[in-house]
Amino acid sequence: MTSDSSSASLSSDDEEESAGQKPNVDVHTNSIDTSLDAIENQLSSIALNTSIDERSVSPTGYHEPVSEIENGSLRESVRERRRNSIGESSSSIGLGLSRNHLEVEVEVEREADGQLASPSSSGYAGERGSSSSPTSASGTDVIRELRDNGSSIGDDGVVSVDPSQTQWIRGKRHADEDDGSISWRKRKKHFFILSHSGKPIYSRYGDEHKLAGFSATLQAIISFVENGGDRVKLVRAGKHQVVFLVKGPIYLVCISCTEEPYESLRGQLELLYGQMVLILTRSVDKCFEKNPKFDMTPLLGGTDAVFSSLIHSFSWNPATFLHAYTCLPLAYTTRQTAGAILQDVADTGVLFSILMCKNKVVSLVGLQKTSLHPDDMLLLANFVMSSESFRQVFYLYMTSESFSPICLPRYNPMAFLYAYVHYLDVSFYNFFIKKIVIQIEAVLAKSNILNEVQRSLSEGGMRIEDLPVDPSSPNNSGSLFHLNHRKPATNGTVTGVGGPAGLWHFVYRSIYLDQYVSSEFASPISHPHQQKRLYRAYERLYASMHDKGVGPHKTQFRRDENYVLLCWVTQDFELYAAFDPLADKGVAIRICNRVCQWVKDVENEIFLLGATPFSW
Amino acid sequence: MASRRRMLLKVIILGDSGVGKTSLMNQYVNRKFSNQYKATIGADFLTKEIQFEDRLFTLQIWDTAGQERFQSLGVAFYRGADCCVLVHDVNVKKSFDSLNNWREEFLIQASPSDPENFPFVVLGNKIDVDGGNSRVVSEKKAKAWCASKGNIPYFETSAKEGFNVEAAFECIAKNALKNEPEEEMYIPDTIDVARARQQKSSGCEC
Ligand SMILES: Nc1nc2c(ncn2[C@@H]2O[C@H](COP(=O)(O)OP(=O)(O)OP(=O)(O)O)[C@@H](O)[C@H]2O)c(=O)[nH]1
Ligand SMILES: [Mg+2]
Repeated sequence: MTSDSSSASLSSDDEEESAGQKPNVDVHTNSIDTSLDAIENQLSSIALNTSIDERSVSPTGYHEPVSEIENGSLRESVRERRRNSIGESSSSIGLGLSRNHLEVEVEVEREADGQLASPSSSGYAGERGSSSSPTSASGTDVIRELRDNGSSIGDDGVVSVDPSQTQWIRGKRHADEDDGSISWRKRKKHFFILSHSGKPIYSRYGDEHKLAGFSATLQAIISFVENGGDRVKLVRAGKHQVVFLVKGPIYLVCISCTEEPYESLRGQLELLYGQMVLILTRSVDKCFEKNPKFDMTPLLGGTDAVFSSLIHSFSWNPATFLHAYTCLPLAYTTRQTAGAILQDVADTGVLFSILMCKNKVVSLVGLQKTSLHPDDMLLLANFVMSSESFRQVFYLYMTSESFSPICLPRYNPMAFLYAYVHYLDVSFYNFFIKKIVIQIEAVLAKSNILNEVQRSLSEGGMRIEDLPVDPSSPNNSGSLFHLNHRKPATNGTVTGVGGPAGLWHFVYRSIYLDQYVSSEFASPISHPHQQKRLYRAYERLYASMHDKGVGPHKTQFRRDENYVLLCWVTQDFELYAAFDPLADKGVAIRICNRVCQWVKDVENEIFLLGATPFSW
Repeated sequence: MASRRRMLLKVIILGDSGVGKTSLMNQYVNRKFSNQYKATIGADFLTKEIQFEDRLFTLQIWDTAGQERFQSLGVAFYRGADCCVLVHDVNVKKSFDSLNNWREEFLIQASPSDPENFPFVVLGNKIDVDGGNSRVVSEKKAKAWCASKGNIPYFETSAKEGFNVEAAFECIAKNALKNEPEEEMYIPDTIDVARARQQKSSGCEC
C-alpha cells in the first residue's frame, strides 16, 4: 500500500539531470501535404521492394513505357520522381523497409526543390484524389453523378469551429473536408479507422466516404507489410508521424505533428480501438472473416460524438496516458456511505456498481475476483457522457435511466454486459451492470451525498497554495475539508496564485490503487492552452520514464523555457510536478517531498481506499 | 432494406500493362485523357460518388499496375472487392489471352465467398485505334469467352474518345451492388453476470 513508501524520500543525488533537453526540433516546416505524398511514395517504394526482391525486373507488358516528360507541370515532375526511383531502388528501399524487423521506421526527406506534390495519386495533371466532375449527359440516366459541393451529400452535423476554441464540440467536425482540402491537410492530428479491405470506418475530420481513396492508400501500405509477415508501426515524414495499429481486420492510423512520443500515440490508438470494442465487441471480427467486404459503419451509426470526445480527452485527461482513474475528493465518511449504498446494489447480483461525477469516481463496489481496468472505466465514462441518448433522456425527464449493452474490452472483449445507467444530475451518474430495481435516487438523497458532491465540485480538490509547510506539525489537520479558508471556486476552475517555491501543478499516481490525483490549476497555467501543453509535457515525461529498464527509484529533472518538470517514480507511486522555469532545483525537490507527504496525509479523502477491486 | 445509408463499393481494375486501365478510370472520373503512357506503380486510387435509385454510393476504384512485377501485391489489394473489371486491348491478342489468368488469380487471391457468382465486367478497350483496322480480337470472340465464364457483361470501349466508358462503369456499379450480401449477422454474446461472478476471473483477458 501507499503508506509503505513514506520512507522513500527524494534527494538530489539519485537524479539524472536533463535540463535543457528538448525534443528534437525539426527544422522542416512541412505541412501534411508532404507527408501524405510521402505515404503515397512509400507505397511506390513498397511496390518496388517486392519487385526487386522477388521478381525479375523485366516488364512483360507489351507496351514499353514512353520516356519523354512534359516540362513545367508539377504533376509530371512528381511522376518522374517516382519513376526515377526504379533505377535507384535497391538502395533507397533497403533504407525504407527492412524485412524481419519488427519496427519499420521510415524517414522521408522533403524534396530539395521544395515542391509540394498534389494529393492525387495517379499521373494525370489537374485531377483530384476524390473527384466528381459534372457529367456530360449520357444516354441512360439511371446512375447520376453528383457535384462535389457537398450540399447534396448529406454532411449532416457539420460544425465549424475556430481551431483556437478548445471546447469539445459534439459530433463530427469539418465533415465537408477531404484529403484534397487545404484545411484538412493542416489539421494537426488525424485519426482513422479502416477495414482490412481499405473501406473507411471512421475519420476524425472530413467525410469518411470522400476519404475512401486515402483510406485505400493506408490499407495498401499496411496490408503489404503484413503480407510479408512484418508490421508497420511508424512512418516519420518531416514533422509528421504516422502511427499504425493493426487489430485483426481493423486498422487504426494516427497522423500527427504534435510531437507526442510514439508510445503515447500508439496508446491513444489502443484506446480508440477499445472504444470501438466497447460499442460493438470483437464479434465484428467474425463478420469480416465470413465476408471481407463487410461494412461496419452502420453498426457504429451515431457514435461519432463518442470517438471525438475520446480524442478530445487525449489532450486534457491525464487518465488517457496514466492508465489510472481519479476520484472526486470527499470526506472519508461520505465516501464510505456512498460505498455502503452501492454495496446494497452490488448484493443484488450485479458485476459492479459505480457512482461517478463527470470523469471522477465517487465510489465503486463489486467485481470480486475479476478486475475492472482503469482504461475500461475511462472508456465507459466517455461513452456514457458523450452519448446523445443518455443525456437526451435526462433533459426530457430530468432524471434518466437507460439500459445499454456495453463491452468492457479489458474484462472480456468478446461479449456484452448490460449497463444500467442512471443520470442523477447533468454531470452525475451511476451505472450498474445488469438490471436491478432499486430506488437509488431516494436513498442517495437521504444520505446527503449529493450535497457533499456539490460542495466538493465547487471547492475543488488539492490546491497547491494549501500545501502544508510542515506536514508533521500538529496543527495540520490532515484533511482537505477542515481548512477554513477554502472558498468556492468559480466555474469549477480554481485559480490560485501558485504554490510555494514556484510550484505550479502536480499529478500523483498511486501504483497499487490504480488511481491518480491531480492538483487544481493555479494561475500560471489557468488557460486551457497552457493546461494542454502541460499535459503533453507530462505525457512525454511519462513515456520516457516508462521506456525500458526503469529501476524502482528513478527521477528526472528537466528545465526548459516553460517549466521546470520534476518526475519521481518509485515502486509505490509516480509524481509529476511542474514549477516556475526559474525554480531552484534543491528547493523543488524539497517541495516534492512535501507534496508526497501531503498526499499521504489526505489519502483517505482523495483516493478510494480499502475496496480496491483491482489487485486481487 | 437497411435505411438510406451510403455505401462504399470497392472496384478493382485488372489487365495487362498498357491496355488502358488508368486511362479508362481517368476518363470516367475526371473526363480526361492523355496519349502519354505512364505505367502505374503498385496501385492508384480514385473515388467517385454516384447516385442510383435514390441511394448514394461511393465507388472506390483501385487501378492496379499491369506490369507483372507488381503482381505479388495481389492479396492486399483484392481483399473485399465488390466488383472486378477485366480490361484487354482489342488490338493485342496477348492481352485478351491473359484475361483468363487475371480472372483466376483474382479468385484465388480474393477468395470471395461465392466465386461462381462474383461480379466481373470485361472491357475491350482501344476500339478507336486505326479506325478499327488493327483490331485482332473480335467482339464475337470476346463475347464467347464472357459467356463461357458465367455470362460476364462485355463492353467495347475507347478511353480516348470516351466511348461507352460511362455505360461500362454504370454496369460495374450495378453489378457491384447486386453482389451486396444479405446483411451480415452480427450477434455478440452476452455475459451472464451471475455466473461470471462465480467462475474465478474466467472472463478476464488482460
Ligand atoms: N488510342 C487509344 N489509346 C489509348 C486508349 N486507352 C489508353 N490508351 C493509351 O494506351 C497507353 C496505356 O494506357 P494506360 O491507361 O496507362 O494503361 P494501363 O493499363 O493503366 O497500364 P499499366 O498501368 O502499366 O498497367 C497510353 O498511352 C494511353 O494513352 C484508347 O482507348 N485509345
Ligand atoms: Mg495504369
